[in-house]
Amino acid sequence: MGRRAVHWAMWAFSRLAPHSQREALLGDLAEEYAMRATALSPSAACRWYLRQVCASVPPLLWSRLAQPGWIVTTAVALCAYIAVGFVELIVNWAIAGASGSSAAGYNPLGMYLTFPLVVLIGYVTAGLRRRAEIVLVAMMLLSVTAMTLWGHESLPAWYRIAYFLVGPAATLTGSSLRSRLLALGRS
Amino acid sequence: MKNSQEPLGSLEHIVLLAVMGLGANAYGVTVRRQIEGGTGRDISIGAVYATLVRLESKGLIKSSTGEPTAERGGRAKRYFRMTAAGEGALRNTHEIILKMSAGLKGLQAT
Repeated sequence: MGRRAVHWAMWAFSRLAPHSQREALLGDLAEEYAMRATALSPSAACRWYLRQVCASVPPLLWSRLAQPGWIVTTAVALCAYIAVGFVELIVNWAIAGASGSSAAGYNPLGMYLTFPLVVLIGYVTAGLRRRAEIVLVAMMLLSVTAMTLWGHESLPAWYRIAYFLVGPAATLTGSSLRSRLLALGRS
Repeated sequence: MKNSQEPLGSLEHIVLLAVMGLGANAYGVTVRRQIEGGTGRDISIGAVYATLVRLESKGLIKSSTGEPTAERGGRAKRYFRMTAAGEGALRNTHEIILKMSAGLKGLQAT
């Protein structure tokens, strides 16, 4: 643990801290880190810095989410999340109907069919609200983690891993596709 | 902007008292240290800022950008000062505490 850890913590913190407070917050942390490094020791200062960064994440995140703009962003992401669930349900239902198998949910075909539809949802979400696609990805990762840890259904390992990767990858593909098309339109 | 007559939360109350006590020298580091020294509570700078921003949105404090210094990596300070509405909110909260604790012998200073 040393200056590199502090450097990475500072980078991560600068991504999370609200833009209007970023400069002052990072400056305050740097000032107190320097004071502690001189008065105590660089390693004690480093430990204090990392503790401060970790303890600051929840209140800052909550403060950011409680802002009116973030409430709208979260609402858009939630609607998109429901749309993804609906698409998955329809695709699985269609596959089950076509094959007559109740285990259609574990069929790779379901993922191939769902992927482009989630790309489309990612595209629309990014267009409706900036950064809503990031919140959507976070919701997907959290829900898959929760299902893996506490879910009663025994899903195959490949399906869990694919589920963890496919949804976020499709959403981010949709949003980057939108950014590229917008950039092409401008040039 | 919310009503300043709305009672303050406990952290809002403590942060506002720290800002008042520090006067012209109230910024993140000093506010955090004042709270740590006064309450013995190891509070994070993130919690202090989240509260300061909330108090500012309620119109109880105002902020201004200060000078950047070398020990801060060239980053500017953000100074906070209490507004008249903040003073009113502190007085209101203090009155509520006095009313609620009146007659409670166990709380009297020894």
